[in-house]
Amino acid sequence: MQYLLQLLISGLAIGAIYGLIAMGFAVIYKSTGLVNFAQGEMTMITAYIAWTISTTVSGNVFVVATGAILAAILLGLIIERLVMRPMLGEPVFATVMVTIGLAVILRSAINFIWDAYPHGLDIGMGRGIMHLGGIGVRTGQIAVIATLLLLLAAIWAFFRYSKVGVAMRAVAADDRTALLMGISATKVHALAWAASSVIAGIGGVFFALSYDLSPAMFQLGLKAFPATILGGLDAVLGSGLGGLLIGITENLAGGYVGSGVKEVAGFAMIIVVLMVRPFGIFGERDIERV
Amino acid sequence: MRTGDYKQSYGELVALIDSPPVWLWSAVLLLALIAAPYLLNSYALSFLMIILITVTGALGLNILTGYTGLISLGHVGFLVTGAYAYAVLVSKYHMPPLVGFLGAGVVPALASLIVGAPSLRLKGLYLAITTLAFSFIINTVILEMRWLTNGARGIQVQRPEILGISFDSDAAFTYLCLAFAALTLFATLNIRRSRVGRAFVAIRDNDTAARVMGINLHAYKLFAFVTSAFITGIAGALYGIYLSFVSVEGFPFLLSIEALAILIVGGLGSALGAVLGTILIVLLPEATRLVFSLFSAQMDATFATGAQELKSMLYGLVIILFLRFQPRGLVGAWHDIKRTWVHWPLRY
Repeated sequence: MQYLLQLLISGLAIGAIYGLIAMGFAVIYKSTGLVNFAQGEMTMITAYIAWTISTTVSGNVFVVATGAILAAILLGLIIERLVMRPMLGEPVFATVMVTIGLAVILRSAINFIWDAYPHGLDIGMGRGIMHLGGIGVRTGQIAVIATLLLLLAAIWAFFRYSKVGVAMRAVAADDRTALLMGISATKVHALAWAASSVIAGIGGVFFALSYDLSPAMFQLGLKAFPATILGGLDAVLGSGLGGLLIGITENLAGGYVGSGVKEVAGFAMIIVVLMVRPFGIFGERDIERV
Repeated sequence: MRTGDYKQSYGELVALIDSPPVWLWSAVLLLALIAAPYLLNSYALSFLMIILITVTGALGLNILTGYTGLISLGHVGFLVTGAYAYAVLVSKYHMPPLVGFLGAGVVPALASLIVGAPSLRLKGLYLAITTLAFSFIINTVILEMRWLTNGARGIQVQRPEILGISFDSDAAFTYLCLAFAALTLFATLNIRRSRVGRAFVAIRDNDTAARVMGINLHAYKLFAFVTSAFITGIAGALYGIYLSFVSVEGFPFLLSIEALAILIVGGLGSALGAVLGTILIVLLPEATRLVFSLFSAQMDATFATGAQELKSMLYGLVIILFLRFQPRGLVGAWHDIKRTWVHWPLRY
């Protein structure tokens, strides 16, 4: 029982990180209709920038958080402006391949700029261990679960009630009609990239807090794929919840079956889910006409 | 004068090659390739081997992604399955190499049925991600099946001896790769002009319309998966022999991206494009290294320390630049040049 609870809680914690990155995927998909294969790399860059700030400028939590968020916004905007905007109107295959190219560039750039060794991100908190009913939990793990839930609520409210959120949904549904209604699609895209970069970046920083910072972190993006597919590419909230599900599944598979299975439990799960619902659990079915 | 692909009769549409001079060029190229092992030094010869092996694999992916329009991010999974099938059959169970090559084709083809079946309901990005998942699952399966695959330790592979001919030397092995590459090129050109190939293209262009025309989507999609995996598996076996060692680390995920990059740079859906793209992508790092070393010794040193990073950055950059400025790839550029050559100074 103790073992099960321990697995569940650490599964929820890593799942919350997957969920954050998966929400990053979904935000971009929802407003631009493409899967950003560079999401893991963007997550990683934000985490590395947070680490650089904490070691060179100040280890203060607020300084690191502000710096990381600003850097993530900037990163998202730069990528949108330089790489994605010129591809507007191209077929989906081409734009998705561009994000793959981008992923390759960013990944190597990280190895080139920083080094290939693991680092610990230390901002004086998040590594302490709390005891909840006899189970040791890191404060960082509690914090990331709380952050995910808060963000889920905030994003739900944003898409439901704010004018910009409604505009983003409009562009996703039908960009030409949205343009006719006076919505600037490029602004919406830029906002989506910045928001996605920040949300995923938060996930990356939390990962670095609870675990370690290393060049293998881009795999977080691959791990978050199952989460966003499970939830449905166009379901931002579903992706966040999908992350929690994947995290728990992975940890249970790792704890009871074997470490090799842990690595692919998420992927196996999406293949099964996609056979039943090819558009994810919370995704919407596309209607096609010839 | 004819300047493009203007098909005027049904016979032209199914012709293997557009115009007679192409036969001449192909013959010259083939003779050059046959002479090459005697003329090149061993460093250049290793590039030729890699190009021939990669062409085989790229043509395999081209059937799936280029002809049928099904994006696969997991082709390295078929590559590694093929390599392991060959290594296990030949090195572990001492089967003749020909059986090994057959197994290297058949085993990935069977594996492709497993990934192909769920893929029938999926489209576009969902399919891309399923194939990606497949390649990770394959890696784990190989690592877990230690009794068969030696797990992470990998399997040593010898150069084969087929029908009494030893392919131990680099030159001889190049001929083997050349034979496979030429055979694959011939086969894919023939698939493209056959009934099956035209069905593939119809599915790529509009699958709902193709279905209305009476094309069995499920059967043809699965067939595309199987043929593509068969060819890719054989390329994997050749690559394993080239490395003389088969392990999961020898087939990194980046190979999947590299294969897609080759198709895009060459021109999606064209056999010639796959060949041109391979040559460009394989030689790109080497060409860049030469350019860097021309500039200064210091830049050469930077390149030596960060070579791997710069190499993959180049892939990324080349993919992006091609998609941005020449989405039809090198083949498209070649068509443009031909047109300009004939119509100059008019634009059209």
